[in-house]
Amino acid sequence: MRAPLSWLREYVELPASVDALVECLPMLGIGVEGVERVGDDLVLDLEIASNRPDLLSMVGIARELAAWAGGEARLPADTLREDDPPAASTASVEIADASLCPRYLAYVITGITAGPSPSSIASRLEAAGIRCVNSVVDATNYAMLELGQPLHAFDLDLLEGRRIVVRPALPGEHLETLDGVGRTLDPEMLVIADARRPVALAGIMGGAATEIGPKTRAVLLEAASFAPSSVRRTSRRLGLRTEASARFERGVDPDGVARAARRAAGLIADLAGGKVHRGALDAYPAPVPRPAIRLRLRRLARVLGTEIPEDEVTAILGRLGLEVRREEDSVFAAPPIGRRDLEREEDLIEEVARHHGYDRIPEAMPCEVLQQGRRPAALEAEAAARDALVRAGLTEAITLSLGGPGAMDRLGVAQDDPWRRAVPVSNPLTSDHTHLRSALLPGLLEAVRVNAAQRQEAIHLFEIGRIFRCDGGAVAERRALAIAMRGTWLSGFWEGARDLREVTLLHLRGVLETLAGELRVGSLAVVAGGPAWMHPARCGRVLVEGVEVGVLGELHPRAAVRLDLPGRTHVCEIDLEGLLGRAVLQPSFARMPKYPAVVRDLALVAPLDLPQAQVQAALVEAGGALLEAVELFDAYSGPPLAPGTRNLAYTLTFRAADRTLTGEEVEALMQAISAALAARLPVTIRA
Amino acid sequence: MPDEVDRLLSRTLEALKGATTPQALEAVRLRALGRRGDLAAMLRRLPSLSGTERASLGARLNTVQATLRAAFESRFAELAASEEVDRLAAERLDVSLPGRRGPLGRRHVLRRTLDEVERIFVGLGFEVVEGTEVETDEFNFERLNMPREHPARDTQDTFYLGDDLLLRTHATVVDVRVMMGRTPPMRILTSGRCYRRDPVDATHMPVFHQVDGFMVGEAITFADLKGVLATFAREMFGPHARTRFQPGYFPFTEPSAELAVSFEGRWLELGGCGMFHPRVLEMAGIDPERYTAFAFGLGVDRPAMVRHGIPDIRLLWENDLRLLEQF
Repeated sequence: MRAPLSWLREYVELPASVDALVECLPMLGIGVEGVERVGDDLVLDLEIASNRPDLLSMVGIARELAAWAGGEARLPADTLREDDPPAASTASVEIADASLCPRYLAYVITGITAGPSPSSIASRLEAAGIRCVNSVVDATNYAMLELGQPLHAFDLDLLEGRRIVVRPALPGEHLETLDGVGRTLDPEMLVIADARRPVALAGIMGGAATEIGPKTRAVLLEAASFAPSSVRRTSRRLGLRTEASARFERGVDPDGVARAARRAAGLIADLAGGKVHRGALDAYPAPVPRPAIRLRLRRLARVLGTEIPEDEVTAILGRLGLEVRREEDSVFAAPPIGRRDLEREEDLIEEVARHHGYDRIPEAMPCEVLQQGRRPAALEAEAAARDALVRAGLTEAITLSLGGPGAMDRLGVAQDDPWRRAVPVSNPLTSDHTHLRSALLPGLLEAVRVNAAQRQEAIHLFEIGRIFRCDGGAVAERRALAIAMRGTWLSGFWEGARDLREVTLLHLRGVLETLAGELRVGSLAVVAGGPAWMHPARCGRVLVEGVEVGVLGELHPRAAVRLDLPGRTHVCEIDLEGLLGRAVLQPSFARMPKYPAVVRDLALVAPLDLPQAQVQAALVEAGGALLEAVELFDAYSGPPLAPGTRNLAYTLTFRAADRTLTGEEVEALMQAISAALAARLPVTIRA
Repeated sequence: MPDEVDRLLSRTLEALKGATTPQALEAVRLRALGRRGDLAAMLRRLPSLSGTERASLGARLNTVQATLRAAFESRFAELAASEEVDRLAAERLDVSLPGRRGPLGRRHVLRRTLDEVERIFVGLGFEVVEGTEVETDEFNFERLNMPREHPARDTQDTFYLGDDLLLRTHATVVDVRVMMGRTPPMRILTSGRCYRRDPVDATHMPVFHQVDGFMVGEAITFADLKGVLATFAREMFGPHARTRFQPGYFPFTEPSAELAVSFEGRWLELGGCGMFHPRVLEMAGIDPERYTAFAFGLGVDRPAMVRHGIPDIRLLWENDLRLLEQF
C-alpha cells in the first residue's frame, strides 16, 4: 500500500527522520518496499501481511506507529449532519444470505453535483496511487484509504425500485462492470442487485449502468462486509482484483462499516453538496460478537521464554486499541474495530511480543529433547552413493524436475515406454514445464549439451534425484540415478593412443561396479539389449544380484544428432530406491589371508559372440571354493586367430584358508577347470 | 724375474686405468689374474726356482695379486657408479611438462550448501527425516491453517497435479506428517525441493530448495527458536554473524518472524520462523496446552548464491562445468 507521509501525519506524530520511520516499520512487521518523492511529499510503499486488512489504511498504520511510540492515534473528526426525511422512506436494503454478507449499510444523499475534487483531496489520492474520478467517487476512495473500509456509491435514481438486494447471481445473468467489461455471472458469485438486475459485483467492482456521473443528483452510499472466501473466489474466477477486493478477501470487520459510512457520507456532503438523509439503512441480521480474549501471563512467558511485566502487557494492548481488564493471573482484552484477526490467546501473545520488540527477547538453547542428531539409513546410503560417484570421478548435476515430452521425443523414447508415464501438471506456467520428470536422463543430457556447446572435452556428470510416474491413479515418486559421460577421461596423455584417453562404455560400467561395491549390494551384471534410442550393439540391461535396476549404453547415433551431441555419449539410468535400501555402510572387517596364493594363467579361444561374462561364470563355478579370484587380462581378436573368434586370457588365483596349496593340487584344479569349460562352452583351451 | 713382476704390476695398473667399461676391465683382469693369465703363469714357474728365490718371489707374487685384486675391485665399483649415472641421465624427464590427471568429481554447490546446513543442525541434535515432493492440498495447506480461499495462498502459487494432489510449496508439510505419526518430544529437520509457480528470472525458479525444522516439547519457547537459529547462523556465516528477527505472517505460526543474517555488511533473508500455531498442533493431534513448538523454514538457493557471489539463480541449474568446477 502507498502511504503519503503528509496524510499519515494527520493521525500520528511521525519520527523526525524518514530513516527512523523506515527502520521502525519492519520491526512492527510492516515491510517497506520503497520511499518515493511525489511533489513535496514522501510516499511509503508498504508491504502488508494478508492477515492485517486494517493496515491497508492510514489510520491502521498510524495506530501501529503511535503504539510503538507509546501513544495513541487521532481518528478523523465526525462531521456528518443528517436531515429529514429519513433514508428509510426513499430506499431499502435487504440481505438474502447473511453468511456471504454479514452486514450491508447505506446512506442516502440527495441534491449533489459530482464535480472535480479539490486539490487537497486529489493530490493525496493520486500520491496513494488512486485515480481521481469525481468528488463523490473520490470521497469513497478517500474514506477507504483512511479507514480501510471499501465503499461504493450508486446513482440512486438509476437503481430500479430504489432497492438493494444482496444475493447470489442467477445463472446466466450479465453485468457490465465499471471497467467497461461485460461479464457473465454464475450462482457462485455474490452480487448487489436492484429490484431487477445485478448492479455491482459484491466487494469487487460496481456496475457501469449505475455509475455516478455529472447528471447524478442522488446517491446510495454502500458500506458492507462480505465473506472473504466468496470475494476471493469471484475475484480469481474473473481475474479482477481491485482495491476493494484486496481488502474484503482479507476480511473487513462488520463493526467498522458504520464509522466508515458516516465518514464517507460526511465527505460527500462536504465535497459534492447535498444532504444526507437521516438514519442509515442498516441490515446487520446477526451482529458478530466481540468477546474479550483471555491472555494468561504465565502462558505468555511460556511461549516467549521471557517475562514481560503485566503493566507493559496491558499498556501495549491498550495502545493498540484493545479494551483491557485484569483478572487474577490473566488479562482480558477485547479487540478494537478492524482487528478481527485477533481471535485467540496466541494472537495477543504476538501483539505483545511485536510491540515489546522481538530483539528484546533473549536467545536461549532448548534444554529438553536432548538427543543425538541422526539421519535415516536411506539418506546415509544416498550420501554414500553420491560420495562413491564423486570419488569415481563424476561431477554432480542438479537439474529441474519440471520438463515436457519434448525431451523424450528428441531422445527417441518409444510411446509405450514407462518413461512416457510422466505426471502432467494441471496448471503449468510455461509450455516447456508441463510435466514432472519421469526419468533423470533427459534433463541430464540437456546439461551435457550445454557443456558440449562450450567445447568441454571431458563431460562426466551424474544426478541423483526424484522421478515421478503415473501409477494407476496415484503418483509413484522414486529415487533414481543417471550418468552421462563423453570425451576424454584422462588429461595430459598426449602421446598415447587416443582411444586410451577417450571414455568408453566400459568406463561407465566401471563406475557402476564401483558404486555397487561401495554400497555392498552384491554382484553387478550387464546383459546385452536396451531401448531403441541406444546404440543397438552397445547397450545393456543392468542387473544387481540378478534383479534388473536399469539400462546402460551408448546413445544411438541418430539420437545423438537430435540432441546436438556429435560423437559418443555413454549414459545410464538406474533405479536407486531398492539399492539404497539394501546398502551396507558399516561393513565388518575381513581377515587378511594367512597362507599364500597360487596364481595361474588360463587362455582360451571363444566365439566372438559368446559374452565374456559366461566364460567367467563358468570358470568361477568350475573352480570351486579354492578359486579365490578370476581376472580377465586379455581379450584379443584378429590374426592369427580365425575370424569370428577371440582369445580370452584369465589370471586365476587359488588359495586355501587353512594351508599352503601344493603345485599338484593346483595342477589338478586347472585340469578340472579346463575340462569343465571345454565341456560346457564352445571354447578351445590354449596350452 | 722380479723385474718381470714389476712390469706386470705397472702394465696391469696402466691397462686398468685405461679400461672405461666393465667389459674391457674384465678382459684386463682376466689377462692379469685369470687362470691362464700372466700372474698364474709366473706362479707355475715357481717350482723351477731355487729355495730362497722361490720363497721371496712367491711372497712377492702374493702381494702383487692382493694389490691387483683390490685395484680391480675399486675400479669395477667406479665404473659401475659412473655407468649408473649415465643410464639415469639417459632417462631424463622434462619435469616442466604438464601433469597427467584422472577425473576429479565434485558435489554440486547447492548440494554442498544443503549438506552443510544439515550437518550443523544434526550437530544441534536434530533428526533428519524425508518427505515426498508430491503432496496433498490437505497437508500442504489445510493442516497448516490455510484453508481453501485463504489469502496467504497467494504468496505460494501452486502447481497442481489434480484436484487434491500438488507439488509441495514448502518443506513445512513434512512437519505435519511427522507430528501426526509421533508423540513429543521431537526435534526434526527435513530438506528438499519445493515448487512455486514463479516465472523464471535472475532470482526465481519454479523449483527451489528449502530446509525446514521444528521442535516440540513441554518447554519450547520463542527464545529457544532465536537461540537455535542464531547458533546456526554463526556456524554457517561465521562467529560474528548477527541475526535479525522481524515480525512476519505465516498462518501456521504465531508469533511469526522473518529471519535475516548479516553477511558482508548486508542483511541476507534466510526464511521464516515462529511458534507453531495451536491449531496446527491440534490438527496434528498434539495438545497445545501441554506442548509448545517452534518451526522454521530456510531457503538454500539464495544463501548459496550470496555466499559464493553467484549473481543469477539460473546458473545454479545450468550445470555448466565452468561453474561446477569452481566449488
